[in-house]
Amino acid sequence: MADRDEIQRFTMAERLIHWAVAISFVYLVLSGLALFHPSFYWLAYVLGGGPVIRQWHPIVGVLMFVFLTAMYLKWRRDMKLDDLDRRWLRQVHKYIRHEEGVPEAGRFNAGQKLLFKTMTLMGVLLLLSGIPLWFPMRFSRNLREWSILVHEVAALVAIGGLIAHIYMGTAVVRGSMRAMLTGWVSRAWARAHHPRWAREFERTS
Amino acid sequence: MPTVSLEVKAVSATTTPAPGMKEAPRVAKLIDVSSCIGCKACEVACQEWNDLPPSVDRPFTGSYQTMPDLQWNFWQLIKFREVLHQDGRLEWTMTKYQCMHCADPGCLRACPAPGAIVQYANGIVDFVQENCIGCGYCITGCPFDVPRLNPQTGKVSKCTLCSDRVAAGLEPACIKACPTNCLSFGTKEKLLQIAHRRVEQLKERGFTKAGVYDPPGVGGTHVIYVLPHADRPEDYGLPKDPKVSWTLKLWKGPLKWLGRLIVFGGILAAFVHYLRFGPHRVREEDTGK
Repeated sequence: MADRDEIQRFTMAERLIHWAVAISFVYLVLSGLALFHPSFYWLAYVLGGGPVIRQWHPIVGVLMFVFLTAMYLKWRRDMKLDDLDRRWLRQVHKYIRHEEGVPEAGRFNAGQKLLFKTMTLMGVLLLLSGIPLWFPMRFSRNLREWSILVHEVAALVAIGGLIAHIYMGTAVVRGSMRAMLTGWVSRAWARAHHPRWAREFERTS
Repeated sequence: MPTVSLEVKAVSATTTPAPGMKEAPRVAKLIDVSSCIGCKACEVACQEWNDLPPSVDRPFTGSYQTMPDLQWNFWQLIKFREVLHQDGRLEWTMTKYQCMHCADPGCLRACPAPGAIVQYANGIVDFVQENCIGCGYCITGCPFDVPRLNPQTGKVSKCTLCSDRVAAGLEPACIKACPTNCLSFGTKEKLLQIAHRRVEQLKERGFTKAGVYDPPGVGGTHVIYVLPHADRPEDYGLPKDPKVSWTLKLWKGPLKWLGRLIVFGGILAAFVHYLRFGPHRVREEDTGK
């Protein structure tokens, strides 16, 4: 297999699911922002024009929900919060400032777990509220009004999460991007960012 | 619409000011329900002038009404309703129904496509189909349930108040066709005067609750009614107190600010965090073999 200093962090299936969610979600964010506010409408032209994104946004939305479901089933056991995670959350200010004294993280840290739960919940809300907006003539006006509100608030929460996730994964925790692309990380990386997971891995292998 | 763009007062989904620099008298259509005989000449004139294909796909349902409802190619409808009064009398109302051309149009507020809905200085609210993306938000925004989506083309349409005829100094086609003077067209001021005079006449004849329907919840409308029973507009198929809904105001107001704050603020916050704290460092003892 690979040399001794490398640990496999994500399987092929996990990476495939992650990127399927990621690519469809980025399309949904860009096309959704175009309709969210005129200052983003130029994105509509980039993506083929207003009528084109109006047609594709809901279709890609359903597709993303399918991917998100697969992701949920794949990771839901790894994403359960335990006591150390709850302590991690109380020390999150130290994590943000890169200070010592943050409880050790397992395979995923509590921030990642919260993001996972948030994104799953927002995915459900976005799907449910998106259907009346997809077929406006089939639903009552009152339901559509509420759907728009729910859809926009859920989308904003998800976009906030996405910005944080991309920033952490590319700029702050160096090596994460490689992990999600190739699947492998160095032992040092694992010990530094996910010590409990690294020790567990070393014990079992 | 280059010829009239100088008279555009409001444009959907546009943050820059509308080009409107020409003032125009505010126009209005008056529908005096008390003198409508339900002949439907206005419906025919509308279909003819706007060259709309007739819809013959609906079965006859035993009603005098031409269609059960407005359609993407059927922009105005005389609603026939049987109203049972509390004293047991039965009244048969016939009320022309179409776009109300609100002064504060919910459709225009709701529309996310720049330039798909415009409001002219004269008060006419027009849909510009080439800019329409077919999302249907205008249908949600409209408190009168007027815009209709054509599922084949994905474009929404509604009564234009014959903006093409009005721009050429003519009255709308429906007005032209009305044989009883139930319909009239002119400046809103003038028509309000006529309407209130007519209300006085009706009151003298015993319609004590007669009144003008010009709902303030949407800033007033450019289609106004004289109703013999103005206390119960729902008897005529008109909403009681139409207003731009609070959900729409919240969605197009504070939420837009919050959204841009999250997007731009989020990116800025990430950048500043990086400048201040940089990446997570992998400690020496971890890298040590």
